[in-house]
Amino acid sequence: MSKQPASERRLGVYVCHCGGNISDYVDVQAVVDAVKDEPGVVVAKHTMFACSDAGQQEMEEDIAANDLDGLVVASCSPKLHVVTFRGVAKRSGMNPYEYNQANIREQCSWTHTDDPAGATSKAIGLVRGVIARTRLSEALEPLVVETTQKALIIGGGVAGLRAAIGLADIGLGVFLVEREAELGGWVGRFGPIYPHERNGHELISSLIEEARKRPAIKIFTGAEIVSKTGSFGNYAVGVRVATEPPQTIQIEVGSIIVATGFDSYRPADGEFGSGMDGVATLPEFKELIDAAAGAGLRYRGKPVRSLAYIYCVGSRQPDGNEYCSRFCCTATAHASIRVAELDPNVRQYHLYRDIRTYGAFELLYTQARKDGAIYVKFPDDAPPVVAADKSGGLTVTVRDLLSGDEELEIPVDLVVQVTGMVPRANTDLVGLLKLPLGKDGFFNEIHPKLRPVETMVDGVLIAGACQGPKSSAESVASGLAAVTQSASVLKKGSAELDPLVATVDPDACTWCGKCLDACPYGAIEQLSLNGREVATISVAGCKGCGGCVPVCPENAIDLRGYTDAQITAMIDGLLQEAIA
Amino acid sequence: MTDYDALVVGSGIAGMESALKLGDMGYKVLLVEKEASVGGRMILLSKVFPTLDCASCISTPKMAASIHHPNVTALTYTEVDGISRDGDGTFKATIRRKPRFVDEAACTGCQLCETACTVAVPDQFNADMVARRAAYIAFPQAVPKKAVLERAGTSPCTYTCPAGIKAHGYVSLIRSGEYEKAFQLVLEATPLVGTLGRACYAPCEGECTRGSLEGTLPIRRLKRFAADRHYQAIDGPGVEVAPANGKGVAVVGSGPAGLTAAWQLARRGYRVKIFEAAPVAGGFLRLAIPAYRLPAEVVDQDISNVTGIGVEIATDSPVTDLEALRRDGFDAVLVATGTPLSTSLNVPGEKLDGVVSGLQFLRATRLGSAADLTGKRVVVVGGGNVAMDAARTAVRMGATETTIAYRRGRQEMPAHKTEVDDAERDGVRFSFLMAPVEVVDDGSGKVTGLRCQRMALGKPDASGRRRPEPIKGSEFVLPCDTVLVAIGMAPEGSAFGGRCASNANGTLVADPATLQTGVPHVFAAGDVTTGASDITRAVGQGRRAAHMIDRWLRGEPLAGFEMDEALPVVDKTKVLTRQVGYTHSTAPESASGSTVKRDFAEIEAPMTEAEALAGSSDCLDCGVCSECQECVTACPSDAIHLDMREQIEEVSVGAVVVATGYKLFAADAKPEYGFGRYKNVITGMQMDRLLAPTRPYNTVLRPGDGKVPERIAFILCTGSRDETVGNPLCSRFCCMYSIKQNQLIMGALPLAEVTVHYMDIRAPGKRYDEFYESAKSMGATYVKGRVAKITEKDDGNLILRYEDIEHGGALVQAEYDMVVLAVGVQPNREVDRLFSGDDLALDVYDYVAEPNEDMDPGRTSIPGVFVAGAASGAKDITDSILHAGAAAAQVAAHLESLKVPA
Repeated sequence: MSKQPASERRLGVYVCHCGGNISDYVDVQAVVDAVKDEPGVVVAKHTMFACSDAGQQEMEEDIAANDLDGLVVASCSPKLHVVTFRGVAKRSGMNPYEYNQANIREQCSWTHTDDPAGATSKAIGLVRGVIARTRLSEALEPLVVETTQKALIIGGGVAGLRAAIGLADIGLGVFLVEREAELGGWVGRFGPIYPHERNGHELISSLIEEARKRPAIKIFTGAEIVSKTGSFGNYAVGVRVATEPPQTIQIEVGSIIVATGFDSYRPADGEFGSGMDGVATLPEFKELIDAAAGAGLRYRGKPVRSLAYIYCVGSRQPDGNEYCSRFCCTATAHASIRVAELDPNVRQYHLYRDIRTYGAFELLYTQARKDGAIYVKFPDDAPPVVAADKSGGLTVTVRDLLSGDEELEIPVDLVVQVTGMVPRANTDLVGLLKLPLGKDGFFNEIHPKLRPVETMVDGVLIAGACQGPKSSAESVASGLAAVTQSASVLKKGSAELDPLVATVDPDACTWCGKCLDACPYGAIEQLSLNGREVATISVAGCKGCGGCVPVCPENAIDLRGYTDAQITAMIDGLLQEAIA
Repeated sequence: MTDYDALVVGSGIAGMESALKLGDMGYKVLLVEKEASVGGRMILLSKVFPTLDCASCISTPKMAASIHHPNVTALTYTEVDGISRDGDGTFKATIRRKPRFVDEAACTGCQLCETACTVAVPDQFNADMVARRAAYIAFPQAVPKKAVLERAGTSPCTYTCPAGIKAHGYVSLIRSGEYEKAFQLVLEATPLVGTLGRACYAPCEGECTRGSLEGTLPIRRLKRFAADRHYQAIDGPGVEVAPANGKGVAVVGSGPAGLTAAWQLARRGYRVKIFEAAPVAGGFLRLAIPAYRLPAEVVDQDISNVTGIGVEIATDSPVTDLEALRRDGFDAVLVATGTPLSTSLNVPGEKLDGVVSGLQFLRATRLGSAADLTGKRVVVVGGGNVAMDAARTAVRMGATETTIAYRRGRQEMPAHKTEVDDAERDGVRFSFLMAPVEVVDDGSGKVTGLRCQRMALGKPDASGRRRPEPIKGSEFVLPCDTVLVAIGMAPEGSAFGGRCASNANGTLVADPATLQTGVPHVFAAGDVTTGASDITRAVGQGRRAAHMIDRWLRGEPLAGFEMDEALPVVDKTKVLTRQVGYTHSTAPESASGSTVKRDFAEIEAPMTEAEALAGSSDCLDCGVCSECQECVTACPSDAIHLDMREQIEEVSVGAVVVATGYKLFAADAKPEYGFGRYKNVITGMQMDRLLAPTRPYNTVLRPGDGKVPERIAFILCTGSRDETVGNPLCSRFCCMYSIKQNQLIMGALPLAEVTVHYMDIRAPGKRYDEFYESAKSMGATYVKGRVAKITEKDDGNLILRYEDIEHGGALVQAEYDMVVLAVGVQPNREVDRLFSGDDLALDVYDYVAEPNEDMDPGRTSIPGVFVAGAASGAKDITDSILHAGAAAAQVAAHLESLKVPA
């Protein structure tokens, strides 16, 4: 490749050690040496933690001292720190979009731990590519959109109801849409629930009462979401409401909280005795307990004097749902205590793998044992077998690791399948909201650790058990966390959006329609311009995915921040060594 | 209007999350963190489960945002001392900004202070596995990246020194091999480094915290060591002095007070001249203290420090006319003439030839003019240090029998115990409870004995000592040839023609704080104004006088100015409880004092370097910072200010978020696991540090011997689900962090075997169980059953005795290289002192109670006070984030409700 032309740009390049995450495998000094004389590079350094306060301070000082007009940090994935370093640029008076990040950690050091020399040479290529891209970067201004100070909550269970009240109390308007005719979800059907013995129906009734007191909350029951357009800050949602005849109304909201809850796992026929007389799932059993007050615990009219709980039905199964359902161990300990309260002579056998009464729920487990429940740990690969015995009862055969792996045959009146939570089947809504699902089928958050209620779609949040199994109180907490997240963007009344969107050159566009099909966000529309039909892109709707760019036969579309010229320069930079 | 909408106490992940989210909503937030950096515990972790994200990488954006957010004011190294609720539902909070001793604006985070610091303490940010310095930056990713100087108070040795010498400072410098710097640090106070290294009575050693263990540090001898090293290498002080300021000060008397004052003044640029009546300079240093304790060369070396910076000393030059000095161009005069007069016995026969004052005897001995005592019997009257010196000198001058006669008992003697012991070792006899009534002669004036009267001790007198009362008819004669009288000393009060007023006891009248006499340009310091004391106090007086004279000559006020504004002395019991273990280095005892040589050669042997290093290394660093001044010198931006003090501010806030987090279980509360005794038994937090990118050893190794472990065992539920330690609760995240560590260890040490002893594996969260399964498939072994006991082998390996439930329940013993105790959570009781007026209700396990946690997570018993994160019970990071988000929503609702007009 020919020698590159001199550049007018004044770039700063920082190669991060990431405390060893990078520098243990990539020779960061060699990377600096390789790029320090690239055209336009004025400052090239390595730094222990570029993201640390000190690292940021150093860059700010360098930008000021050297009058830099472009910044490159070679560190981790831009997902982690692009905002951090744009902030550095901004605080130093540089346009934030003059900053670009080279990922030499996830895409380099972590993937080539066995080849430091190769990792170093790859890192050099990656950094050169981003330097080349930055030489062609241009100042961009964020798009400011006015936001609607209202939110839509989908799902009127405990999480959705509590979130509605939370939003209203902060001064935001709420539309609460419930598919069923009644609000309340699962909790509304339950009697006392753990850990505080509060009655589920009563909890829900008081929430509904509170919600109805607040004029800012509009509730639609028997209603469903049928359409969604617009983008973060300004969504237009079509709701089919249960009027006679049903009609679709349009509502305008700034954010959407999805709180659609869960379904209870339904065992297949024959799975741990499913379908046999005397076998019930956990929610069915809870109803038996709720109905037992005064009458004693009865199953189909017969008193229950002994019962066996089989844990992890539909959970932690290598061939089924692999995940743990989190709430069921504690819910079962709680059920066991309630049964003992009804009749301390009922023999209760808990056939389990691990008891996961985490945190203070341990106290319920202890109480259940004090009340006389017998816990039997069975091997993961030898689950209990349920069979009908001659007397019309059931016999559960199980190996007990706690008593020297002895095989026990336990005759019981009732088998309770401790069934977990599964994602709700609502394909339409998933498609409508374009929300990604995890391997387990629950909605996926953007980051499971630090951003558990946000999703890939800006302004669409997930709360409660639709994100993963949760107790009632945990669902409420995540509902309120979603309130906070909504309010943190809506309360201001406006929001800034990334200007890294696609643009159309109307002179080149022939309106062939190919881009329209390629856009997953419905951001492209047809426009009559000076007598010609051309494509136009809504800046608020465009997510900058770039899907429309390569399909355009006329090369009429460019993506800001990733222009064709920039990408070509990046590739040249990346391959410089290989070609030279 | 309140100063802030919300106060968030604690900047761990929950505190940061609530503060940032409230800030995003537009509320003004004050975020208060007691440590030097925001970030709490998460920033210290290696990675997080189940994503294996690098904990620092995902923490730092939040940390940086906490201090950059336009609506969040973050104060680090700050405590909230009290919060009370006002009638209108808002709160007043008392905020105590602890002194960093570092100017945050000036500090650039360059860490030169850290490199220079001579004090090492356990690094709490590395789970105490390695040391950090007293001057430190919390950790590499600290936000803000500003240094802190940790000071628990003034160390007792330094605090007690009457001379103002930073004893802890020079000890820590010697420990660091900085012998010359140690010498220079003492020079900051006085030029008499060699002298005090020998003849000081070392009040510092009396206060040494180590004294309650195996014995005090040899603080005085360490000073002598530094002096010996200096004088072997360098003549004179080796310091720079300020340029001449054109003013002159006359110092009358060249004892310790006069020499110290002259030194201090000359360094400030004054022209100083010392007038000494005796033929040699040094006062009592040369003319009273015997050479076997303080050789003349040592005093001369110390004096050469003073003359080396231009001070002129005129010997044989008694001053009688203070006004003449003024006329000679001295702008101020310091009188430091000491107590050269002896108190007389006031008994018949005192004028006989064989009766000599102890002081005269000592002076004559040092000037070579003393009478030979060979074959003589000597009685020394008195019980003070001069009496001891006189008696021991008499022994050396040939006396066949030397007896000290004292009117009270041994316990009442004012002499220092070491002096009494040394006198006894020299063969001096003691005769207690007798008072002289007459010196008896043979009729020709030759002394033959001392008639004495036996005494009995009565009621305590004004000095607190029991008053001796004569026993009638008990008189007897103690036969002797010489009587040395050493019962007291007094200044020459009338020496200056009454120009300065005197007290009844002959001391000059001077203000005890400013040392100024009734004549404004005349100051008085040392024994001449205090009465007989000791060298070290005289040095302190000389130093004070110099400061005061300097201020007076610069026209600054004297009243109200204090010289050494020290921090309060540190509490020794706190120092002792702070220690995690004691090391005691023993160096071979020096040969000093083992054989008694009755001559004037110096008795005490110098310290060897090995002894000095061993002795100084025992220092417990009571005040943490030793005030050695190394950081002050090293800081390129003059950011270090030891005179910073805490600042108390009161702020009003609309709501409070308690995000004070949790404490980790103290693993030594399970003694059967040997934590703290077995070096290769570590906690889960320590293992996380070993695995972190900023790890202390750059790899996983066992602390006992640095070996890379091949077999590692984890013990889950250490301190959790355990009634024997009073905690029946599950700590919620230990299973998961252990599984994470299992995976990371197998990545870092592919050959290592990892075994986990568990009760139940609790992996109840999104992708948690899958994470457990992948650890199993990577090869970690999970054994159900509790570990009963760990024993340590000689090679540091550990034998675990446990039950293997899943394989028949047999009792098994297995050997491991290293054991990790998966310690759980304890409540942070610091919340107890946060609120006054209203009680913040705690649950039965002492976590902050949430009376309605089902519907109002984060709400506490006090309206307007919310709790976020693990302060309300064990939570992992995700649950803390959700909880903090929920708390923020409720805070916002509360703040909005305050806006509604009543």
